[in-house]
Formats: sequence, structure tokens, C-alpha cells
Amino acid sequence: MDRQKTTGAMSEADLAQMLSQVRTGDSEAWGELYRQYAPAIFRFCRRLLPAREDAEDATTEIFVKVRQKIGTYDSSRPFTAWLYKVASNHCWDMLRRRRIRQDLETGDLEALPLEHPDPGQLERLQKEHTGKEVRAGLARLPDRARMALVLRYFAEMSYEEIADTLGVRRAFVGALLLRARHQLRDQLSGGSARTVAAKPAGGRKQ
Amino acid sequence: MSPSDDLLRNHFDEVTGLLYLERQLDESRAREVRAHIASCAACGQLLNALESESVWLKEALTTDEESIPARVITVPEKKGTHWGWITAFGLCAAGLYTVWNGLVAPAFAQASQAGFSQGNLFTMLFFQGAFWRGWDTMRNMTELLAATTLTGVAIWLLRKQWQRFTAITFVMGALVCALSVTPVARAADLEHGDPSYTLPAGQEIKTDLIVVANRVRIDGDVDGDLIVMSQSVVVDGHVKGDILGFGQELRVNGPVDGNVRAWSQAISLNSTVGRNVMAFGGVLELADKATVGGTMTLAAGTTNLDGRVVGDLLVFSGDIDINGFLGHDAAIRADRLTIGSNAEIVGQTKYEGRRQPDIAAGAKLGSPIQITIPKRGPDYTRMSYYWHRVLLWGASFLFGLLLLLLLPGFFADAVQATKRVGPAMGFGVLFLFATPIVAIIACITIVGLGIGITTFLLYAIALYSAPIFVGSWLGEQLLGAEVGLGPTIGRLALGLAILRALTMVPFAGALIAIIVVVWGLGALVLTLHRKMGPHVAGTA
Repeated sequence: MDRQKTTGAMSEADLAQMLSQVRTGDSEAWGELYRQYAPAIFRFCRRLLPAREDAEDATTEIFVKVRQKIGTYDSSRPFTAWLYKVASNHCWDMLRRRRIRQDLETGDLEALPLEHPDPGQLERLQKEHTGKEVRAGLARLPDRARMALVLRYFAEMSYEEIADTLGVRRAFVGALLLRARHQLRDQLSGGSARTVAAKPAGGRKQ
Repeated sequence: MSPSDDLLRNHFDEVTGLLYLERQLDESRAREVRAHIASCAACGQLLNALESESVWLKEALTTDEESIPARVITVPEKKGTHWGWITAFGLCAAGLYTVWNGLVAPAFAQASQAGFSQGNLFTMLFFQGAFWRGWDTMRNMTELLAATTLTGVAIWLLRKQWQRFTAITFVMGALVCALSVTPVARAADLEHGDPSYTLPAGQEIKTDLIVVANRVRIDGDVDGDLIVMSQSVVVDGHVKGDILGFGQELRVNGPVDGNVRAWSQAISLNSTVGRNVMAFGGVLELADKATVGGTMTLAAGTTNLDGRVVGDLLVFSGDIDINGFLGHDAAIRADRLTIGSNAEIVGQTKYEGRRQPDIAAGAKLGSPIQITIPKRGPDYTRMSYYWHRVLLWGASFLFGLLLLLLLPGFFADAVQATKRVGPAMGFGVLFLFATPIVAIIACITIVGLGIGITTFLLYAIALYSAPIFVGSWLGEQLLGAEVGLGPTIGRLALGLAILRALTMVPFAGALIAIIVVVWGLGALVLTLHRKMGPHVAGTA
């Protein structure tokens, strides 16, 4: 899956032309751009924010920002990456305003289990749970864990972009993602996933 | 031992596996991992499981099961929004101006006529601070009740969403209102009758006197205010401040230098009141030798005015007999008005009632009485009736437009909520009756007065807005659910017009109006509950 899949197909040439028109203040081009990308941004916000109304409000506010900042967009970079960056910053700010963020990076690292998970258990988990259940489990994760998974697996952001958005070191992003996966597994399995971790023969982790 | 040998002997951890899969390892490290998995089935299985988990996550996150809301699909129009806000603010300002000129200013004017010269509504409600002069001694009772009420309301409002700004604002606003109307406390003499209380003749209380007893008799003097709650109160002594009385019967035979405010089944004034009288009761009598130095504001079943009133008279009464002297204007709304032969009214008299007044031949009137006999029920033959309906529709439409422009998301949700007819009707009935009861209870606790008044105001707004949501729903049934501001306004206008027309139908119209209010109120409650309730993140 690539970013275009979540934002709808549009050729690069068409997009470039549309963006240049938007920069000149062309309302019709802006409308087209909005129609093209607003649904994806709404879905993105919907994955991150607590309520549908919040996602609606956030989508509107994000596009207000996009329109204001379109002049600063570097056309050498993918537009969707820039768009998701604006959106993720906005959503992260919203979440931060609402509650105290978990800033203990090392805490997350220390919480990672030493053993390998049981691959069979992981496969069973994937077979037993529908996409809806996964999304419900995701909704119950701490903000940063949810944010990390959505940025990576929905918006397909790079580790650098995720680190920048969440304000963490780049080297920590992998651990953050893995920790988020563990938390999601725990949510879906009711906490049993951690207990079934298998230790490979002769193994201690490196 | 080379790192590669080390890897071959020891399995890599899960983070390394994930970083390898996501191509985040540098090339030399990736090569080591590749070499390891070539000879280690367990780590190979782990990588496969992690990879399939990545795919599983992507699919779950990108699957679309939830529709995109119309509000998001519609392109926000920069210019339209700008003018929308200007229009909304304009309408809001116009509405406030109208409410001020039409309701608040006249109310203040009436209050001023009745002697509430400060022009402060809250002060009026607190009877110019008289009630609170005994705060020090009454605090145990009132503080406990008030604190309990406020805590209960606060917990109820904030039970789920402490971070919800609106709820906090509401509670804090109510608290500010409540606190802002609390005057400075003063000491007072508090007496509890056992079961009755008598202030003997010749004794004088040098401060305010607060009495709670079965029967109260004040033969002595009070050099302050008299606040009394009793079944029967007789005041023969001299009260140099105000009288504030609650009870079954209040009889004032001694002079009062200040005001008399009374809530009693029977109120009898037989002496001189230096300032104003405001009374609510079953029967009210102003004896022929009694004099009121200021104005009288009365709401009573039966009113007999045989004495003198120097200032204005404002009466809402079933029957009223005037056989005394009125030194100023009189505004009377009653079922029946009788003006006796001894009556003298110096100023203008306005009367509105169901019957023609009965005026004795010897009565002296400063000017002819202005009489208004309202016709019962709508007069379908008059154009003014239809014009009035059109104006009501216009006012309702403007209010709906304001809601739509200011709170488009809430408006759409409330219209959606009307489609849940059963729950909406159920909640509508519940809140229609429960809200005023809760508001009255809040008002009774005095400190909760701010909350009570706020609740009443919100209740009135909710009742007024209820037909707007039902009207929009009706419009949607007839015109379809096309997205956009224009179609939404069209649906609102048509729906409200039809509802307004339906309420004009004789007999059935009233029933329809009630159903619409209940339905719309319920939808509003459902929407508010949804907005304020706990939310679960995107589980589309």
C-alpha cells in the first residue's frame, strides 16, 4: 500500500498543476484539492482522535492550516507526506492539550519483553480478530502508541518523520512501534499475549 | 569471535527483527541478520509473523467502513464562512437588542416602578439583600444545602469528561453568578419558636430579627428587618426595616418603615407601610386605614384595596376590588375588576381582563380606563393572525439559521437524532418535566439560584429550538438529504413552515405543537449526551 492509496489516485503532473493553481489562490483548484484529500485526512484523524466530531473539526482545521501554509510546501517532497505531517502535528497537539503525554521513552524500552513472541500465537491473533476489533483495540491504546502505529501503517511516514512529529529520538522509533504492537496484542488478547512469549532454543536476545 | 558468529549462535531480538523488516538497519547489520535467519528457523518464523502483522495492521487501519460526513465532503468556502459569521453576529446582536428592549428593559422598568430602584435583577430576587443579612447565623443550614446542590450538579456535569471545557465553563459560570449575587453578611437575631414565638410589647430588637416558628406574634419593635417563616404571623409592633414574610397568614397591624415582601395564603395590611409592597398570595387586603408610601406589586387570587397607595399599582389577580385611593397609575390584569364608589385613581388605569370592569358611579378616575378584552383562541378571519404566524415562523427560521451557522456539526447531529423517534420522545418527555423541577430545587437552595436561573434560560432556549430540528427532519423527508448549506437552509425553511401551519389547525394544532417540542427536545438531549459522553477513538 502506498500513500496514494489512502488519499486517492492522482497523477503527479495533475497534482503539481493543481498545487500551483492553489498557490495562486484559485478557489476551484483548492476545492478540487480538498475533495481529493479531505476524506483521507478525516480517516486519518478518525484513527487518532477520541470522537467522530473531533475528527470532523480537526479535518476542517487542518485544511485551514494547509491553505495558509501551502506557500511553504517544498514541491520536491511528496505532497501527501507534507499533508500528513501537517495533519499529524495538528492531531498530536490536540491530544497533548487534552492530557499529559507519556514522555518516559526509556520506560517504554524497559517494558519490552526479552523473549521472542510465539509466532504461532501471533498468527492466531491475526486470524481471530477482525479489522474492526483491531481498530477498537487501537482506540484503547495510549495516545503515543496509537499515534505511532497510525503514522507508520496508515500514513506510511518514515521513521524520521515519526520521530519529528512525536518529538522522540529517531533511534527510539523502532522500539516505540514495537511497544505499541505489544500493547495492541495485549488489548486484543486480553493481556495473555505477553505470557505466551516463546523463548527460541538457545536464545537470549542480542 | 566475529559479530556474525555471535548472531548465528544468539537469536536477534524483536526490535532488530522489526527494524530489519522495515529496512531501518544499516547494510552491515542487515547482512548479519540475513545470514542468521538463513540458518535459524525460529528467527525466520518470527520475521514472517512480524511481517504478516504489519500487513494485518495496514489493512485494519486503511479499511473504510465508516462513511465520510457531509460536513467534511463539503468544501469550506472561505468567503461564505466570512459572511456567515458576520451574518450570525449581526443576527445575534439584533436578537440581543430585541430581547433587551422587548423583555429586559420593560422588566427593569416595572421593577423600578415597584420600588426596586437599583435596577439589579439579582438584587431584586434577593429582596435587596435583606434575606442574607442573617447569613452568619443561618450558614449551617443554607451552606450545607447549597454546597450539596452545587457538588451534585458539578459531579453530574463533569462525571465523564472533566476535560470538557463546556461543562467546566457552565459550572464555573453558575458559580460566578451564584457568588456574585451573595451580598455581604451581617449579624442578626435568630429565633426558633417552640412552637410559637412572641416578641412582647415594650421590647425592642436592635438588629434584624429572623423567626422560624409555628405562630409568630410581634408586639414589640424591631430596629431592623423582620424575616419570618410561620403559619401565622401577626405584627402589631413597629418594624423599622423591611418585613419579609413566608407563611399561611400574615397580618400587619403596626407601622413598617421599609418594604413589605410577602408570600402567604392570606395577607392583610392594616397600617402604614413607608415604602413598597410586593405580595404573592391567595387573598390580599389593604384596609381602609392602611397606607402604602410607595408602590404595590401584587399577584393574588382575590385583592381588596380599600386603603391608600401613593405610588403605582401593578396587579395580576383573579378578582380585584378597588375602593381606596391610588395616587399614581394602575396596571391591572384580572378576571374581574370592580371599582367602588369611594375609589379615586389619580393617574392612568390600564385594565386587561376577560370581562368588562364594573365601575361605580361615584368613582373618581383621573382619565378613562384603557380596557383590553382579549379574544380567546385564534381569530382565523383576521389577516393579523396570519401575519403573526409568519413572523413567528421567521423568528424561528432565523434562530435555526443562527444555530446552523454557528454550530453546523451540532445542528446536523441533532437533526440525525430526531430519526431515533422512540428514544427522542422518551427523553423529551423526561426532560420536559424534570428540568424545571431541578431548576426550582436549585433556586430553593439560594446559592444554587445562579444555576437554577441558568437552567431555566437554557430550558427556554431548548424548547424554542426543538421545532427547528424536527422541522429540518421534516424538510429532509420532503426534499431529500442533499449535501450543502443551501439545501439545508431550504429544508429548515420548508419544515418550519409546515410545522407552523400544522399548529394552526384547531385543537389538533396544540397537540402537534406539544409532540414537536417533546420530540425536538429529546433529540437535543440525545445529541448533548453524545457530545458530553465518553468517547472511544476511531473504531470505524
